Amino acid sequence: MTTASAAVQTSDNPGGPSANAAAARQVTKAYGAGETRVTALNAVDVDIQRGRFTAIMGPSGSGKSTLMHCLAGLDTVTDGQIWIGDTEITGLKDKQLTKLRRDKIGFIFQAFNLLPTLNAIENITLPMDIAGRKPDQGWLDQVVATVGLADRLKHRPTQLSGGQQQRVAVARALAARPEIIFGDEPTGNLDSRSGAEVLTFLRRSVDELSQTIVMVTHDPVAAGYADRVLFLADGVIVDEMHAPTADSVLERMRRFDGKRTS
Amino acid sequence: MILKTSLRNFLSHKGRMALSLIAVVLSVAFVSGTLVFSNTATSTFDKLFAATASDVAVAPAPPSGDDSGQGQDTSGRTPTIPASVEQQVAAQPGVKETVPHVSATTATLVNPKTNKAVGPTTGAPTIVGAWTPGPRTPMKITSGAAPVGPGQMMIDADTAAKAKLHLGDPIRVIGERGTFDYTISGIATFTGTNPGAALAFTDLPTAQQDLLGSTKLLTGVDAYSDGSKTNDQLKAEVSAALGNAYQVKTSAEQQADNAKGVGSFLNFMKYVMLGFAGISLLVGGFLIINTFSMLVAQRTRELGLLRALGSSRRQVNRSVLTEALLLGVLGSTIGLLAGLGLALLLIQLMKGAGMTLSSSLEITSSVPIASYAVGIVITMLAAWIPARRAGRVSPMAALRDHGTPAEAGTNKVRIILGLLVTLGGAALLAVGGTSKDLGQAGSDLGLGVVLTLIGFVVLGPLLAGVAVRVLGAALPALFGPSGKLAQRNALRNPRRTGATAAALMIGLALVTGASVVTNSMVASTSEQIDKQVGADYIVTVNHGGLTAPMIDAAKGTAGISHITELRELMATLTLPDGSVVKHQAVSAVSSTFTQDFAVPVSTGSTDGLVNGGISVDQKFAKDHKLGVGDKVTVDYGSGRTQQLPVGLITSTGNTIFDNHLYATIDTVAKAVPQDQQPLDVMVFGRAASGADKAKTLTALQNSFDAYPQVSVQDQAGYKKIVQQQVDSLLTLIDGLLALAIIVAVLGVVNTLALSVVERTREIGLLRAIGLSRRQLRRMIRLESVVIAVFGALLGTGLGLAWGITAQQVLKGQGLNMLSVPVSTIVWVLIGSAVVGLLAALLPAFRAGRMNVLAAIATD
Repeated sequence: MTTASAAVQTSDNPGGPSANAAAARQVTKAYGAGETRVTALNAVDVDIQRGRFTAIMGPSGSGKSTLMHCLAGLDTVTDGQIWIGDTEITGLKDKQLTKLRRDKIGFIFQAFNLLPTLNAIENITLPMDIAGRKPDQGWLDQVVATVGLADRLKHRPTQLSGGQQQRVAVARALAARPEIIFGDEPTGNLDSRSGAEVLTFLRRSVDELSQTIVMVTHDPVAAGYADRVLFLADGVIVDEMHAPTADSVLERMRRFDGKRTS
Repeated sequence: MILKTSLRNFLSHKGRMALSLIAVVLSVAFVSGTLVFSNTATSTFDKLFAATASDVAVAPAPPSGDDSGQGQDTSGRTPTIPASVEQQVAAQPGVKETVPHVSATTATLVNPKTNKAVGPTTGAPTIVGAWTPGPRTPMKITSGAAPVGPGQMMIDADTAAKAKLHLGDPIRVIGERGTFDYTISGIATFTGTNPGAALAFTDLPTAQQDLLGSTKLLTGVDAYSDGSKTNDQLKAEVSAALGNAYQVKTSAEQQADNAKGVGSFLNFMKYVMLGFAGISLLVGGFLIINTFSMLVAQRTRELGLLRALGSSRRQVNRSVLTEALLLGVLGSTIGLLAGLGLALLLIQLMKGAGMTLSSSLEITSSVPIASYAVGIVITMLAAWIPARRAGRVSPMAALRDHGTPAEAGTNKVRIILGLLVTLGGAALLAVGGTSKDLGQAGSDLGLGVVLTLIGFVVLGPLLAGVAVRVLGAALPALFGPSGKLAQRNALRNPRRTGATAAALMIGLALVTGASVVTNSMVASTSEQIDKQVGADYIVTVNHGGLTAPMIDAAKGTAGISHITELRELMATLTLPDGSVVKHQAVSAVSSTFTQDFAVPVSTGSTDGLVNGGISVDQKFAKDHKLGVGDKVTVDYGSGRTQQLPVGLITSTGNTIFDNHLYATIDTVAKAVPQDQQPLDVMVFGRAASGADKAKTLTALQNSFDAYPQVSVQDQAGYKKIVQQQVDSLLTLIDGLLALAIIVAVLGVVNTLALSVVERTREIGLLRAIGLSRRQLRRMIRLESVVIAVFGALLGTGLGLAWGITAQQVLKGQGLNMLSVPVSTIVWVLIGSAVVGLLAALLPAFRAGRMNVLAAIATD
């Protein structure tokens, strides 16, 4: 724990560990060995600030999904350290990792977020059911109201539209009050209107509920909803942008593409 | 093209096909194993009988009314012919050689050192006779020498080995004419097949004297032709010379009679084994349906793509059926080979039971034909429905996001059809249970069983929905989220849950039904004993009958007030209305019979029986319009006839009196002298008033010490023996149960394994949001338990309905009492939960080991 604090304190980001919901130090992820070794992440340092909306962008194969999976404890790293809050998760056993994901992390995937056998409200409270915790009814009502699903709670996923399904997924991620929510292209499968809806909810949950969110996306419009955008290329963070807009992100991406092709 | 895609699909789903393959293999193995075994056994015995039958054999005339041609009265005295017959036969032109025979199946072989009976206990005979080797004797002396003079005996090698008897050891024969001691002089071995009997030989005069009581008697004569005449001609001439007092048979007739005797046993085995095959086929069919349904469901997108690219429905349909064909061919081939192994195993088992069969298997063309027909037809039939569903996949499926199919609802037609069939079956069961006509009730019962079974299978999905909701209601409360998810998973595809549970249901229904019947059998018998038997002690004999010295010993026992004897004679009855009843047993009893049994008098009186009358039951009286005082002519054969008045009519519903005719021994003795009457099959004892019943039992048992084949029981002990006999029947049923359960477990494993694969993404999601491995495994185990318990509930419910109806149908046939084996049913239900847990072991393990990321990323 002391090494963790020390490591974070030496970082460029101000505020120390308590200000960070998640942090990565010198994280390397490689597949294979010898000549066929492919490095997906190369000594990446990242701090995810509490109560902020962070987007991770980059071209296909840049390692952005791998970074998120490693941060979320879904994937193991080859080298380096990762913290969620004050807990170092690198080196944790599956059992502890599972508990951590259950209690501290919320997930929104691109597709297939919901269990078809459970209705909307059951899906929303599932992480708490699994943990054996009673949901905080007041909070739950607020979350449900925020994502606008009050009249759809008894519906099965198959009876909901794609946008509604993703909103249920957002509500599920919010309901357990995790330290951090990870979204893996959460709007990737939605049309622009539904996507905008979902992103608005994410934004509001950061502004009104002080939720920490990390989202992987390749869509500049989606990234425009974030407080901060990290740009990844070839397994390395090459740039970051604060208070982005869709246009500035697009602009940055263009430059980025140009640099790459040149 | 189709064959290629089918083959590739088949190979790429090897693991998923494996369990279906096992089901096909099991069923086919039973079919081919049964055929090979029974062919081999039949051919072994045919060879044996062909090799040993003499050209013409002379035997005593069969007892009255016995058309079976077996000619042996097992409980009675050994029938004989005069020794002079041999000379008469030998004098016939064309006869080259005659061999005299003495053999008796009524004697018991005893090892004096242990005072235990020697020989088979399986029902095969113990044959004691004279060593008169002829041209076709199937034995040769392998150690020692042939017996000579009184006191020497030779026994067969298998019996010697089993009883650990050696040359020079003493051996005792307890026969109808007394007890005789011998020393073993030789051991003979079968040159071919040992049919399972125990054989013991003395020389001819000794056998004649000890077994038949006179050297002027034989039990048969074999004649061998010099080749100048056919066997039929020889038979005709011998018959003409001897008159019709004897039975004369040609070689072919002897072989046919012998084969009939063995055949009934072999047929029994054959039907039992085919029963096994049928069960595993039926249960396996469900497994195959489920496998193909799931494979089709998983490939919906792929099939949609094929359709979008221009494959016709028929082509898609056919590609699935081709996979089924591959499965069927492969399964049949392995099953055929496994069947040969099974046949060899059975032959070894028979050897253990004392029957040596040829070890070269008799594989006729019917074996592969039946194996492939059964294996392929069942597989194709089972795959038919999923294949049709595959053909109906729309090209749009290729474009849809997820391959996972919409949850299949239960359609209305199916429900209505299922309800109609089930209700029809239930109505038939109800009608059968209350019907008076036994034959009609039996066929109602049979059809009712089939219809309710089909109805339950058809209704399975609907029932699954209802039952899982009820059964599973407690799961969320008991097991938290794992319980809730398990319940929902079991509900998500009722058709699949229904089919999986149906496999378990079939086996358990059969077993439950059968155990209700057997349990009722024991209860009814006990009740009948309580109600009708007043005697304190029941003496039975394993082999032969109870001889006069035995009875005398019993009568002399301290504390015994009297002994009631019971013997059975075969007779032909001529009734006043002119009808003739052939092959009717008449029980001759001591006059104390009426004191030892609660005689259910309907008309007449017990005095009518004691004072020279005959008793018949109400039904017999009604069928033949008999009243008390009417005269019945009883013909015991060989011209021994008497006219007896009906002295007593007993009311029905009492097994000891239903279908039984009684007369006293003294009454019968007026036509058949005591010394010509058969031996007692059973005797009953009564303790003197004031005597200690337990001590008297011991004393009575001690009186029979010299006769190990006799067993003495009090009423409680006798009931226990009845229970044991029924229990041995239950062993067979348990075998069926075990097989049905094995195949059903395969089905549950299969369904779960495929479900786990199908739900890979869901499992990944659950793991990602924090479901622990342990919770995940518990979820899968609970789903499995729910399915298994559901199947068990259906099965026991159905089985109870069948069993109770069967008991009602057989109410008049000695099954008066209904007894439901509650503890068996409770165990079945507990066992099914365990089965569910076991079936989930592997799928749960695999699900727990899944990589979370890979699972989420799965398409």
